[in-house]
Amino acid sequence: MLENLGYLIATLAVLVGTFFSFVGIVGLVRLPDVYARMHATGKVSTFGVVLLTVAAVFVTPLAWSKALVLIALLILVGPVVSHAISSASYRLGLPMKQAVRDDLADKRVERTRVERTHVERTHVERTMEMEPRSEH
Amino acid sequence: MLAYLRLALICWLIYLAVTANLEPSNLIVGLLIGLAIAAILKPVSQPLSLGRLPGALFNLARYTVWLGIDIIRNGVRVARIVLDPRLPIRPGIIAIPSGMKTELGVALSAHAITVTPGEQVVEIGDDGTMYTHCLDAVSSAAGAEEAQRKRRAMLESIFE
Repeated sequence: MLENLGYLIATLAVLVGTFFSFVGIVGLVRLPDVYARMHATGKVSTFGVVLLTVAAVFVTPLAWSKALVLIALLILVGPVVSHAISSASYRLGLPMKQAVRDDLADKRVERTRVERTHVERTHVERTMEMEPRSEH
Repeated sequence: MLAYLRLALICWLIYLAVTANLEPSNLIVGLLIGLAIAAILKPVSQPLSLGRLPGALFNLARYTVWLGIDIIRNGVRVARIVLDPRLPIRPGIIAIPSGMKTELGVALSAHAITVTPGEQVVEIGDDGTMYTHCLDAVSSAAGAEEAQRKRRAMLESIFE
């Protein structure tokens, strides 16, 4: 009886976790820019991985204490990573698409000292660099 | 000395949780690792009142449950936005004053915002203002300050 209950919880956790992982990937493809996409991928780590870990506790010999530490670390570190990526994107000057407001625009964020980054360079500039220079 | 032992104890408990093994040899190895980590990190001693500990732990549990409910509610909201054929997003960056005095408070507020789907802190100003990118900036801006007030009250109940 108790074992069946464990399997039921595990099955539910796998289904919900897989659903949210799926939604995260769909969001990654559909959303317009890097900031919006970070919302979608963040969900794969919070819902997807945490719920699959919960399922693993019930059906595999994974110890619950180990799973608890793992989940706590995921919840603590996941937001730090997505903040680091979005903050770096803003400093690089990656544009926000379809933005309705930007309170940060008039605050002068210290952009990176690199004048033109690899991301900002156009395709033409990059191909021109590869041509051998005949002068000099 | 007290801070040193406390950090070693916390490291020891985490080690035991990760290894999930209570044999005497493992207990000793874990204790040695905990003491070594505490020796390397050199923790600053902070005033500790044991009488406050149960209350703080209760408030921490309440905060965790509240955060969990918030994560689930916003997760469903974002899933609905992503799966909607029209993709009804109104993205934008809004400024939310954190109102926290300590750096730890600002960091934990920013963590709570970023861990909920649909909102994430892009930049933190010198005055503790959190510049938050939202998938739906219009509805998030409406409830942001109220939510931050609640969050701040809960975080302060844990640490003060």
